Amino acid sequence: MASRVSSKGKGKAGRGAEDGPTARFVKEWSTWTMKKAKVIAHYGFIPLIIVIGMNSEPKPHLSQLLSPV
Amino acid sequence: MGSSVSHAAASPPSIPPPPPHAVGLAGVLPPKSEEKSEKKVDWLNLPCPVPFEEIQREALMSLKPELFEGLRFDFTKGLNQKFSLSHSVFMGSMEVPSQSSDTIKVPTAHYEFGANFLDPKLMLVGRVLTDGRLNARVKCDLSDNLTLKINAQLTNEPHYSQGMFNFDYKGKDYRSQFQIGNNAFYGANYIQSVSPHLSLGSEVFWLGHQRKSGVGFAARYDTDKMVATGQVASTGIVALSYVQKVSEKVSLASDFMYNLMTRDVTSSFGYDYILRQCRLRGKIDSAGCVAAYLEERLNMGVNFILSAEINHPKKDYKFGFGMTVGE
Repeated sequence: MASRVSSKGKGKAGRGAEDGPTARFVKEWSTWTMKKAKVIAHYGFIPLIIVIGMNSEPKPHLSQLLSPV
Repeated sequence: MGSSVSHAAASPPSIPPPPPHAVGLAGVLPPKSEEKSEKKVDWLNLPCPVPFEEIQREALMSLKPELFEGLRFDFTKGLNQKFSLSHSVFMGSMEVPSQSSDTIKVPTAHYEFGANFLDPKLMLVGRVLTDGRLNARVKCDLSDNLTLKINAQLTNEPHYSQGMFNFDYKGKDYRSQFQIGNNAFYGANYIQSVSPHLSLGSEVFWLGHQRKSGVGFAARYDTDKMVATGQVASTGIVALSYVQKVSEKVSLASDFMYNLMTRDVTSSFGYDYILRQCRLRGKIDSAGCVAAYLEERLNMGVNFILSAEINHPKKDYKFGFGMTVGE
């Protein structure tokens, strides 16, 4: 779990360059994954809850989702 | 046993047979040795303590209601036992934290859409605002004793998002938690029941980016009628609180916080009336701030809310009203 939490700032780039190309590649790849995961969570979390909720028992109707009553 | 059996036949069946030489009232009341054995503490079967972050829960519920300024309207619509949608409108001023002593208020208006899925094993709560901010909370029971909680605020602006992962482990008479947050924040805490009423806990945290770490200790003593807690942290904060349940409907709470670094002292006293049709909470602060919060039940599922906060030294007056429809 610790590797998933990478720094969001660019301050550590100077120190990372000394570790060699492999460490730099891992750091860049984990930063790219975190950015994509953040975008997916941002747009997909509420639709995920709605999909899970609409499939739970007893199944509500689609019209109940949209109507205000 | 023979003599007591004949005595038992003469006395009513609900009373245990009196000892052979008892006279008068002593023969009718249950023997005192039973009472003593009920009060004896079973040190191997202590109750599970409250989670570390909820150690001051009663005091916070009474002394820190969600005061607001402006209009608030919340509508929760349940589609299902477990699934519900919520729509929320807010129009009013929100306070922006500022360095100087003046309060800066920014008029805001937003609409918030939310979806909740509540299952005994999985809880998902999401709220999204009109400016694109998302508040997400996930609580998942990975096993009987292990729980994963995720708390996140995601924004469109880069570098402003926050997230925290918590792993909770609940033992027989202890709880432990491990936290990982963004900006390389790591924390852990542990709380243990030491007696049926007393529990002690401690926490450590480490901030990666600023290379800061801290340790804290907490204690909580609770009975049916009162709860007393104390917390000390290496950041120089001492926090004490005391809540007394005066009756079924009334509880009184007080809170004391001392910052050793800035030599700042804050103390507050409050009351909490839970009546049949309403809940009224009020408090007064040592900083000269008086606040009250009323939730009145007009009908089944319809609540009317009034909030007031008067800060006399800063001359800051906040009044709000609102309505909550649905559970």
